[in-house]
Amino acid sequence: MFRRKALTAASMAVAVGGTAVFTAATLSGGVANAATATFTPVADTYVDNGNTSTNYGTSGQLGVDNSPVKRAFLRFTVAGISGPISTVKLRVHTDNVSGAASGNGGTFKGVSNTTWSETGTTWNNQPSIDGATLGTLGSVAQNAWYEIDVTSYVTGNGTYSIGVTSSSSDGADYDSRESGASTAPQLVVTTDAGPTPTATSSPTPTPTATSGDPVLVGAGDISNSGSGDSATAALLDNIPGTVFTLGDNVYDNGTASEFNTYYNPTWGRHKARTRPVPGNHDYNTSGATGYYGYFGASAGDPSKGYYSYDVGSNWHVVVLNSNCSAVGGCGASSAQVTWLRADLAASARPCTVAMWHHPRYTSGANHSPDTSVAPIVQALYDNDADLILTGHNHQYERFAPITPSNQLDNARGIRHFVVGSGGASHYGFGTILANSEVRNSDTYGVLKVTLHPNAYSWQFVPEAGKSFTDSGTTACH
Amino acid sequence: MTALAALLLAGVAVTYAALAKDQPVTARSGPVGEGPRIQVLTNGRLSTVSRSDPGGPREVTELRCDRAYTAAGTVACLKPVGPLSSTGLVVLDSSLHERRSLPLTGFPNRLRVSATGRMVAWTLFIDGHSYATTGFSTVAGILDTRTGRLVKSLEDFAITVDGRPYRNPDVNFWGVTFTGDDNRFYATLSTDGRRHLVEGDFAAKTVRTLRENVECPSLSPDGTRIAYKSAVDADPGKGWRLSVLDLASLRITALAETRSVDDQAAWLDDRTVAYALQTGDGTNNTWSVPADGTGAPSLLVPDANSPAPSETPADG
Repeated sequence: MFRRKALTAASMAVAVGGTAVFTAATLSGGVANAATATFTPVADTYVDNGNTSTNYGTSGQLGVDNSPVKRAFLRFTVAGISGPISTVKLRVHTDNVSGAASGNGGTFKGVSNTTWSETGTTWNNQPSIDGATLGTLGSVAQNAWYEIDVTSYVTGNGTYSIGVTSSSSDGADYDSRESGASTAPQLVVTTDAGPTPTATSSPTPTPTATSGDPVLVGAGDISNSGSGDSATAALLDNIPGTVFTLGDNVYDNGTASEFNTYYNPTWGRHKARTRPVPGNHDYNTSGATGYYGYFGASAGDPSKGYYSYDVGSNWHVVVLNSNCSAVGGCGASSAQVTWLRADLAASARPCTVAMWHHPRYTSGANHSPDTSVAPIVQALYDNDADLILTGHNHQYERFAPITPSNQLDNARGIRHFVVGSGGASHYGFGTILANSEVRNSDTYGVLKVTLHPNAYSWQFVPEAGKSFTDSGTTACH
Repeated sequence: MTALAALLLAGVAVTYAALAKDQPVTARSGPVGEGPRIQVLTNGRLSTVSRSDPGGPREVTELRCDRAYTAAGTVACLKPVGPLSSTGLVVLDSSLHERRSLPLTGFPNRLRVSATGRMVAWTLFIDGHSYATTGFSTVAGILDTRTGRLVKSLEDFAITVDGRPYRNPDVNFWGVTFTGDDNRFYATLSTDGRRHLVEGDFAAKTVRTLRENVECPSLSPDGTRIAYKSAVDADPGKGWRLSVLDLASLRITALAETRSVDDQAAWLDDRTVAYALQTGDGTNNTWSVPADGTGAPSLLVPDANSPAPSETPADG
């Protein structure tokens, strides 16, 4: 059934659904202040139960069929939308071959999984098509555009997956993103007001407007003889708020001398507003005496290293010590986890952020996901915490809201971040874990977390001269 | 990030389209077709693509490996380190039936099967760290799948450096590649701040140094050349240039790939080597480049690493 798509340079687009003009520019002539932004998929593929272990992610086609069963999957990342959204249309183009036409163009539904792999998804491991029906297409001709209104599904900036099935044994074939710009699927977002950048505009860090909401800003894996710590310290100079670290504050051994030589001239400029986290390198000095000696009371009890504090009127911040052997373990009945559960139970704040050094989940190539902190993650999940910040792998990674066993959970899940981008030389990535949404391994930077009354906004702020960034907002549980 | 990723993906798509346009439509018995194939890892899962259409349909198995290789019907896989398990070597036949498994300690790094399918050689980081950190340790081992003889560490072999017997507790080996007789091999020996190409004798349990700054050797199918990574200015901190050493003339040819390649290259045939590069978001792509210094790198298999040329399995 696999046919190679013939690529054509000229668009053969046929306008349908009353959309006579299709551009990313501002519409003129009676539609005041409306603007459209067009996004092509960041991933698309189909699966085939006739070849259950075959992936078609690089194919020029997306097949939907009921005999053999073929299902198509598309994923879009909507970014840069500022005004209120009025409509969102999914546009798909049928392949220009006779077999592409069908009496049934398929049923389009939402898919909650947004981290399936374009080149790894097969019938055997396909994501569940578990969302609401967005629309259906009846007869489709070859070489034509079709539209589905997905306004109810695409409600703002973010990543959206769509699955397509067909109940007909006469399958339809659409062009995939690999077919070329003139026939690739499109998500057309129309906003009511204000200029909207197109999907191809260059990324511009847009610091959150000063709203008065408190800010946490920081990173882990910070200071050595290199220059990365100076680059990230310069970012802190321009970002007010509470500074956090995520461990491995200095290299290699956490000595007082290293704190004075490397950390103090850089991040040490912000010591008075810093609440630190200890890492394994800090504990290379017995008892992490260099760490506790440098930070003093801000680091909590030197025999524990875990502590908590409140920020603003709605946020509770918990610092854990994942150097488990130094504090009597991290087990479910350990002193630390017992303290954590009592601390969370006693907190009346609606939103909670927790931070420590060793990530429970990471796609980094150098350090595996750390199961020893699982009881900490479980205690946080049981108490409806909102986000977890860690370091250890020298890179940035953001996960979707997940359960303690890394299942997607948009209702109660906790977002995990690895922010090991504080200045120590970068590590690469290994196998990318499920629910890993964004990664970067070539940019030093800090994570700025703005603590709204019932939500948090994160923004990765890159070192000068770099463009990688990542931002978003998630409501508290 | 989003726009950057989109640009990178667009670049992939364009290259793919350029490859695809010239491919003839051929009859296939299955999605990946008959004929020569390339085995790769797709985000850690053992996969196969057609050599003639490497950007096309891909067979994706459920077998998870951090590194894999195949030759003459032998498939080798270094399993990922699990929450409660260490890594290990699994040796399978071409239908992926397990023939041998071996628990190992460390972080998978390199893996090779000799051209006959008999010898399997691997490298692990043993402190969980990689080249990104200062100071690392590796262990390289060899399994003879015919006799069952296992060498857990090449550090047990007698070492000759610059013609003299040599002992030093700091020795590390990595990147083994076997010759056609399944006894002689090449590898990297690091000691006292120097990185040597060594030639080894599996039966005699010896290695001797040949020259410096040749890492992760990969012997060509005809046995005449070694593809390797050459530290820029002899400083691994500056990255590596993919190069080829002619064993007869000792002439070195820098290949057309100018990006830093930290991989043990695989020869697809006597004229072409394949290797993986990772983008900033952790995506691995497998590239190929002519082995004679001409031409330019081209994207071979998107979203894939650990390439190895492969024949059609017997069961088709």
